[in-house]
Amino acid sequence: MAPSVFRSPVQLPPAEALELSKQAPAILRSSANTASTSAIGAIFSAPEKPEEWITYENLILSSLRTGDDKAANQCLARLVARFGENNERVMALRGLIKEAEAQNDGELEKILKEYDQILSENDTNIPIAKRRVALLRSMGRLSDAASTLVQLLDFSPTDAEAWSELSDLYLAQGLYPQAIYAEEEVLVLAPNAWNVHARLGELQYMAATASGADGGSYQKHLAEALKRFSRSIELCDDYLRGYYGLKLVTGTILKDSGKPAKLTDEGDFVLPDTKTIERLNELATAKLAEIVRHSTAQDRGWRGYSAAEVAAARELLSEDSSSGIVR
Amino acid sequence: MSSEIELQIAPIVQESLMHNSRTFQNLQSLTASLFGVSAGILGLESYSGFLFYIIFSLLTSVLFYIIRVAPTSISSGKKPLDTSRYFLGAVDFWTGGLMNGLAGFILTWTLFYGLVSA
Amino acid sequence: MAQVPVQTIHRDPQLFYWILFPITIVMVLTGILRHYATVLMASAPKKLDQKTMREQRGLVHGINVRGNFHTLSKRSFNARRDALITAYESGAYLKDPENQGQPPPNPLSDPGSMEGMMGMMKNQMAMIIPNTLIMSWINAFFSGYVIMKLPFPLTIKFKSMLQAGVATKDMDPRWMSSISWYFLCIFGLQSVFNFILGNDNAANQMAQQMGQMGPQTAQMFGPGVDPNKQFLAEAENLAVIDHYSVLDNVEDRLLKSIRV
Repeated sequence: MAPSVFRSPVQLPPAEALELSKQAPAILRSSANTASTSAIGAIFSAPEKPEEWITYENLILSSLRTGDDKAANQCLARLVARFGENNERVMALRGLIKEAEAQNDGELEKILKEYDQILSENDTNIPIAKRRVALLRSMGRLSDAASTLVQLLDFSPTDAEAWSELSDLYLAQGLYPQAIYAEEEVLVLAPNAWNVHARLGELQYMAATASGADGGSYQKHLAEALKRFSRSIELCDDYLRGYYGLKLVTGTILKDSGKPAKLTDEGDFVLPDTKTIERLNELATAKLAEIVRHSTAQDRGWRGYSAAEVAAARELLSEDSSSGIVR
Repeated sequence: MSSEIELQIAPIVQESLMHNSRTFQNLQSLTASLFGVSAGILGLESYSGFLFYIIFSLLTSVLFYIIRVAPTSISSGKKPLDTSRYFLGAVDFWTGGLMNGLAGFILTWTLFYGLVSA
Repeated sequence: MAQVPVQTIHRDPQLFYWILFPITIVMVLTGILRHYATVLMASAPKKLDQKTMREQRGLVHGINVRGNFHTLSKRSFNARRDALITAYESGAYLKDPENQGQPPPNPLSDPGSMEGMMGMMKNQMAMIIPNTLIMSWINAFFSGYVIMKLPFPLTIKFKSMLQAGVATKDMDPRWMSSISWYFLCIFGLQSVFNFILGNDNAANQMAQQMGQMGPQTAQMFGPGVDPNKQFLAEAENLAVIDHYSVLDNVEDRLLKSIRV
């Protein structure tokens, strides 16, 4: 899919972000320089569209990624002219630009102080609170970031974005149970998000394969991972990540089927029987092969897979055929 | 209870549903006004006017079904005339439009009847 | 039965230009004006302090857990349920825990709730004022004119409604006066507004009245509602849930539904 200025560029690969930020001068030139603030001007000028402001926001993000600080500042100036200095979102964007321009840790510390200052004036400024967490994280203070985020979530427990970030922070510190708990909270808020189901499956799989998991919890994690991946595929057909995870999990289970299955507590998921797992593995392998084949050939209706994910799937398949035992 | 589980397994997105029915309602109220215009110009009176309205608004529903709903709905395994892929209630789909547009129809019908026959 | 001769009344065609069109145009314009007035008067969402936000979102969180318990495994659901019920019952989420058990403050004395009421008042005003103005305008200028004939017959009962201000006993009730055209406009212009202003417009008072009857989410945290009671009720709701999960048998469903 071609990069569009209307979509958030957070997840774009570098090449597409660069392409997007190259459009910045043209967009800045094509639209009027100042949003008119007077009432009479507003009547005669063309009606403003929400897309325009989203465009500026996304341009800031992609220009910062590609090092075009000048364009980012211009975009910010337009947003300030429209929404004022004290809009929470504008404040967060300004902080983001400052963070990107900071040269050393001392400057970052200064920005952190500024955030603290803003938050002491208005403790419900969620965008700034989130920026503060992100800054702490990028400065390497993971546990500080996590505890700050927990404070934020204490008074705003319905923020899926924050829960998801918390899960990622815990994962970075190797705290699997906490990461799983936070990801489950995301799922409570967005029960039909297949990517969150798959993400939770990945977390469970990582928790299972990490060293130190004993037999009982190993089984439990694998069983839930298998179910999570299945659910994500059920919600979204041809979901590559879901199939990839399903294949990994079933492969692992089949490989270790020698281990004695411990009796689990009531309330945990139990693994289905071996035959079902085998069939799931076959299904995942076949589907992955199909997706890789179609998306390599650029068939109609099969575009839009991320190239990196397709490559990873191909590698998994080739590993499988060269070892040739696990089926 | 079982239907609740089914809904949770195969969720329905409320926003899309609202969008669908709202689009359909818009179409119906707009066409109803236009039918009012034509009924007024034709000079239809009493029963023939209402009959005109009922026939044409049903025709709108049928055309909407055939052009927009049927192609994907039938290929996904629904029976013909089953709108449950995009809309909640079938009765709502087929007759809801009659009520929606009636006020607009009467307004434009009266207006144009008055204008033409005066 | 003898055929009743069709009444014909010769009307000046100027009636259309000087009564019908002005009323219609004024109705449309007031609708548009009302829409923009509501947009302008809509007060920005009030700034919440941290404790209020915590209280409200804590409750919403509980509702979310209750609604989406089926995505969790039994163990994690039970952990959440126990934590939430304990917190709710001890009043941990309350804005001011020492007020627990006291009756809610009088909504009229609380400045925060006054604002919400003012908002409702404003909406009501935006509906009532233009209507009374137009009604009296029509009554003052156009009463007593017969302007149109309805294309369908009506019973004699409608006569007083449609021909208000026209004192003619024998006239067919199909003839209508200017005020009844006004009423017809109120009901029928919704589609026109839909077309001009887009879908969620505030132009039509009918739609607004419907909206007010519907369930209101704003009412949940509205004035005069005791949050402690809400929390206790929510704790009870959570306690009675019989847990099951959509993940039960998901692999069987998957194998059944997907063919390679």
